[in-house]
Amino acid sequence: MAEASGMPLGGVIFLTVFLAIFGTFLIFLARAIGGRRTNNSAAKRDIYECGIPGQDKRETKVSVKFYLTAILFILFDIEIIFMYPWAITFRDFISSGQGTFVFASMMIFLAIFIFGLFWEIKSKALEWD
Amino acid sequence: MTPDVFLFWFLALLIVGSGLAVLLFTNPVYSALSLAMTMVGVAAIFITLNAYFIAGVQLIVYAGAVMVLFVMVIMLFDIKSEVQAFTSGKISGAMKLIAVGLLSGLIVGGIIMGQKSFVGELSKDAAAQVAEANSAKMKRAAGADAATKELGVALFTKHIFGFEALGVLLTAIAVGTVALARSRGGTHAK
Amino acid sequence: MGHDSFEITINCIKLVLIFLMMVQAVPILVWVERRGSAFIQNRFGPNRVGPLGLLQLLADAVKFLTKEDFAPDRAIRPLFYAAPVFALIPATLAFAAIPMSVPLEIGEYVFKIQGYDMNVGIVFILGVSSLAAYTILMAGWGSASKFSLLGALRASAQVISYELALGLSIVGVILLFGTFNLTEMVIAQQGPLTFRAFGHTISSQFLPNWGIFYQPLAAVIFFAATFAESNRLPFDLAEGEAEIVAGFHTEYGGFKMLMFFIGEYGHMMLGSALMIIFFFGGYGIPGVTVADVRQWAAGITDSATQISVITTLVHFLSFMLKFVLFLWIFIWVRWTLPRFRYDQLMDLGWKTMLPWALGNTILTALVIYLIS
Repeated sequence: MAEASGMPLGGVIFLTVFLAIFGTFLIFLARAIGGRRTNNSAAKRDIYECGIPGQDKRETKVSVKFYLTAILFILFDIEIIFMYPWAITFRDFISSGQGTFVFASMMIFLAIFIFGLFWEIKSKALEWD
Repeated sequence: MTPDVFLFWFLALLIVGSGLAVLLFTNPVYSALSLAMTMVGVAAIFITLNAYFIAGVQLIVYAGAVMVLFVMVIMLFDIKSEVQAFTSGKISGAMKLIAVGLLSGLIVGGIIMGQKSFVGELSKDAAAQVAEANSAKMKRAAGADAATKELGVALFTKHIFGFEALGVLLTAIAVGTVALARSRGGTHAK
Repeated sequence: MGHDSFEITINCIKLVLIFLMMVQAVPILVWVERRGSAFIQNRFGPNRVGPLGLLQLLADAVKFLTKEDFAPDRAIRPLFYAAPVFALIPATLAFAAIPMSVPLEIGEYVFKIQGYDMNVGIVFILGVSSLAAYTILMAGWGSASKFSLLGALRASAQVISYELALGLSIVGVILLFGTFNLTEMVIAQQGPLTFRAFGHTISSQFLPNWGIFYQPLAAVIFFAATFAESNRLPFDLAEGEAEIVAGFHTEYGGFKMLMFFIGEYGHMMLGSALMIIFFFGGYGIPGVTVADVRQWAAGITDSATQISVITTLVHFLSFMLKFVLFLWIFIWVRWTLPRFRYDQLMDLGWKTMLPWALGNTILTALVIYLIS
């Protein structure tokens, strides 16, 4: 097990740094090679809009639904993450005779999860219009 | 300097650097992105400790979910005025300076403490512990998911009530969030 | 890192090669996509530059490179330029953890045909690919455009919503194999299909022992969720042209746009590769085990190195065949199904796929509990 300790992480860091350098290089390359138009009118340098003056993003009001979705995502994500160690140990528990207990406790957890999900659905928190 | 030590210092500098960046950036968007970077660095530190699953959880939950929410909220709110309030003014500037000073004090203190003799004795023990941990690491490396399985066993035998309570707690948070978002008087109330 | 400098060098070269392979595949996929869509829609597609329009790839690259590098005045430049660079990272990091063939043994060295062998392959891949949301948010905020911001919002909400169904459908797979490690999953899927229940063993003669036969529902949910994760039709609400121009990359052009494309196609490749690993036996060949292939190779040459090389190559080809098939399905679906409406998209993610994935998890656990 020579490569067990640092190897994967070293690879990940190497690849990340390589990609960052490579990407930056590409951006600079495109900058160096790319053409330059002398037309520098205000309309060209403005953000995209169809014929009317470009609106700043700060004038955009955003629905609270997006935040709600993000928060609910975090909560359910944590619950799902807790299922992973259960899923990986489930067979071990069964072979050591504790299967019923672990199965039942996970089912209670899942029941709470399902209750939460159906409460969200019923309270129309996940309703988009 | 062995590769492991080098890796640790690299990651530690990355974490401390991005942690400082959280404080020193005047734009909250950059601060939030730096905090996400810090989370990724901590996940990498977990990998060096062979805690692969915890590293994955750190990535998925903190870097991939919590910080995404932070960045999203900061980006989408009208934060022009908050940026102003945050950057200018003597009080907020002083607070930032004090915070950075305290943090640097902690770091310097830690380094000085590390050179004292009683910590030296401790570190002898620590060396023995490291050797022990290394042998354990070798043992654990035999089965790829052994560490995660240990975690699972601990979670579902010793800490089972905490686990179930967590389920209830998360559901309560979800219910509370939805109730808050639906309350009257907000800008998006119907 | 590895033990000696030779091994480290080879590993670094391997990582770069995997990345270059992904980058190479993008223009080819674009070509296949354009020709394929033309075929599906009874058109010609690009057929002027070179035979079958194959040189179109080169022409496109030159065109991208010579475009004026442009950022709007109001854009927040650091984020605007960092977003396309960051777009490359999550998909490539995750793809490098995919085992693509049996390890190559040359002398005393063993080279895995994967970038790095993460112990917890699935959790690592999920974690890294969840960072892709930052690309979208950075691009959307950095371009300071209303369309970009709306696109980024939609895209990030969509990506995180489908991550739930994705993560939950994998729980069934983990229950089935009892491991996070991708290589171990592939090994578990070798040999003929075998059910063991109540002391009886039912074995099939011609079907391989693939995950799809145990987890069909998880396969469907996972595949649909990967479409949403890679922002492709029918889930490409993030760039619905009819509503928000081009979503979060409205302000991007030229090479920066191309880098977003590499990221998007990278996610598509990652989805295909994970489908193969979880449900279609990875690099395994149906009806043949690795030992069979090694024996067959031993009949051709005597050298241990050559046997290993042949075995690795055969399995790599098997992986690539499945891989290409799934990529084609990605393209096929894109030109077959229309785009969802946003409320339909969120309903599908939260109210349909999430409960079904939950049901799949419970069912799998129940079956495993009952039969053992």
